Amino acid sequence: MSKQPEDYIPLSQATYYILLSLREVRHGYGIMQDVEMVSKGEVSMGAGTLYGALGKLEKQLIIKKVHKEGTDRRKYYTLTSLGKCVLQLEYRRLTSLVENAQQIINELGECKDDGEKI
Amino acid sequence: MTVKKFKLFLASSIEKEEQWLTEMSQKGLHFTRYRFGMYFFEENSNISYIFQTDFRPKADDDYFQFYRDAGWKHVDNALNLFHYFRTEKDCTGVKKLYSDEESIKDAYNRMITYYMSLFILLIISQIGIVATWEGYVMQYVSLSIVSIVVVLYLYMFLSFRNKMKFFRKER
Repeated sequence: MSKQPEDYIPLSQATYYILLSLREVRHGYGIMQDVEMVSKGEVSMGAGTLYGALGKLEKQLIIKKVHKEGTDRRKYYTLTSLGKCVLQLEYRRLTSLVENAQQIINELGECKDDGEKI
Repeated sequence: MTVKKFKLFLASSIEKEEQWLTEMSQKGLHFTRYRFGMYFFEENSNISYIFQTDFRPKADDDYFQFYRDAGWKHVDNALNLFHYFRTEKDCTGVKKLYSDEESIKDAYNRMITYYMSLFILLIISQIGIVATWEGYVMQYVSLSIVSIVVVLYLYMFLSFRNKMKFFRKER
C-alpha cells in the first residue's frame, strides 16, 4: 500500500523548514539561506544534516530533483504534490495545537521560576 | 614546515579525531593530508580551523559543491569513505556538519550498516581457512591476524552501540 501524507506527520523542525523553503526550486545552499531567513535566524542547519535530509525526502517522494540547464553541478529540488500535502497537513496540525491551547495559556498567567523542586 | 603524526582511530571515534584535529589547529598545526594513519600538518600560527569528518562512501560532485557552498573546505579523504572538512574558526555559520540529533543518529547508522556488511564478508571469507585446516604455521599466523581484526570490529560495534544508547537516553 502506498504511503499517505498522514504517515509523515509530525515533521521534525529541520524537515518542516526545508519543505517550506522548497515552495520554490532551490539548491542545497539556497535552502540553508532561506531557512535562516524564514526562521528569523532561529534555525541554522548543518551541511550534513541538510544533505542527509534531502536524500531521505527524495526517497520518500516528498521532494524531487529538478533538472536545470547549464554547467552547474548543484542539484535543485522542489516539492512534489505529496510534499505539498504533507506540509499543509503539518501546518494545520501545528495551528490546531496552538489554537486549542490559546485560552488555557492566557489563563495560566505569567511563568516565573519560583525555585520549586519537581 | 610539515609535521607528521601517526595516529589510529576507529570509525566509532570520529568525534575524537575531529576534536584532535581542531586542537592541533589551535596550536597552529593544520591538517592537510592523510595517508594510512599518518596525518600531515602545515604550520601557521595566524589562523585556526574547525575540523569535521563526514562518513560518505558515495560522495559525488554535488556533495562537494554543497559543502563548499556552506563554507566547508574539503581537505582530504581516508579510503574514500571519510571526508575531512575544515572551516575558519572566526567565520559565521554552523560549526558542525550535523546540527540535530536525528541526523547524528542517521550518520552513525550509515557507518554501522557499512561496517556490519564488511564484518560479515570478513567472517565468510574465513570459512576456507577453517575448512582446510591442517595446522600449518601460516594458517596459525593468518588466523591470529584475523582474530585481532575481529576483536577490533567487536570493540567498534560495542562503542557504536553505547553511542546509540546515549542518544536514546537523551530523548
